[in-house]
Amino acid sequence: MNEIKQDIYLNPHQARRRPPTQYEDLLGDSIERAFGAGIHDLSELVAYLNRTGPGCPLNEGIWTETLYQEEIARLAA
Amino acid sequence: MRTIANDPVEAVLAVGLKDLWYPICPSEFVAERPVSLRRLGRKFVIWRETSGKLHALEDHCPHRGAPLSMGMALGDRIACGYHGVQVRFDGVVTSVPGSPGCKLEGAKATRSFHVQEACGAIFLYNSSVDVDQPPPLRLPEELTSDEFSNFLCYAEWKGGYRYVTDNVMDPMHGTFLHKQSHSMAEGDNTATFRVRETDIGFVFEKEGQRDVNFDWTEWADTDLHWMRLAIPYPKTGGPGGSFFIIGSYTPISENVSAVFFWRCRKLSGWQRDTWRFLYRNRLEARHWAVLEQDRVVLEVMEPDANQREMLYQHDMGIVRWRRHMRNLAKEQLAKEEATEQVKA
Repeated sequence: MNEIKQDIYLNPHQARRRPPTQYEDLLGDSIERAFGAGIHDLSELVAYLNRTGPGCPLNEGIWTETLYQEEIARLAA
Repeated sequence: MRTIANDPVEAVLAVGLKDLWYPICPSEFVAERPVSLRRLGRKFVIWRETSGKLHALEDHCPHRGAPLSMGMALGDRIACGYHGVQVRFDGVVTSVPGSPGCKLEGAKATRSFHVQEACGAIFLYNSSVDVDQPPPLRLPEELTSDEFSNFLCYAEWKGGYRYVTDNVMDPMHGTFLHKQSHSMAEGDNTATFRVRETDIGFVFEKEGQRDVNFDWTEWADTDLHWMRLAIPYPKTGGPGGSFFIIGSYTPISENVSAVFFWRCRKLSGWQRDTWRFLYRNRLEARHWAVLEQDRVVLEVMEPDANQREMLYQHDMGIVRWRRHMRNLAKEQLAKEEATEQVKA
């Protein structure tokens, strides 16, 4: 059967596939705070995350540059 | 936007100029089933083959006019649900099951349209007559270059598509309407604007202010009408400078528009991934809140608001664009008239 779209389409969340997890929200908070504090280098960002959390989901909670890149690529995919 | 009876230019513009590409819906609107979309003064049926290949016909069975979208997709053709008449992607009727051999079989009886997918959207070539080969779909570099990353935001607004363009052609509204937003709190309340021509259109920009607020906007014609602008992110948006917006707007009906905004950023590596994560996690919602401010104003404006205006210097871009569109509409009418005369 056909599908006729009659309603006005207003969907505020088109990029995400599911609601964010608490970990993702905390990570977003931390990243924004780091950027807001003028941190733009990967090494400084990783150090900031290790100071403020959330912890890395791997490696017993410790962020490294490699792990951050892997994790953020996963979250960005 | 009100259609003024007796104004053929207005009638042409109300349904969108012909022989141009238009974005018509996000890619995911068309999955397994045929979809009917009212756009550009007619209804289209869009469907996919199992390979994903897209096709578009006028959503009108040549037999009795039932919507083909009520039927069943059979690969590169669609069978009308009413009497089973099969119409191929090129508009040729391949089978009339109830009356084999009738003269409808083999006839090119339905308008067919070229469709192409890019950047999360389906684009349709709104040809005035059926063509074998449309011009290439030429998108701005923010959507085609590997140096940029983008997300599409699609919405339908209750307002004519020209009101949407007017709004984007009016950077100064950012300073007032969007003062309370995540990205447009800065900049002066006054500005002087100028128009700068480009090879494909023109730029409407503030004199002496750039990368502070919504400071310039560009209109371009590459056989697709699109707009470009840039707005600085706050510091929390991280490295990468301003984000770019590419916009393109398609009439659904006289007072409803299909609104496409691609949010783009020039970033690579972990910075790109971080922006994409933040966009999904929180920035998209903030961008949406800004867009809602625009939608609410546009939707409460009377459909004939643009018939009673007192414009000033900040509206030079709108005036320039409207004049250009009217000229394009006149060219289209002249071409149609010449074709009619040849036929006669």
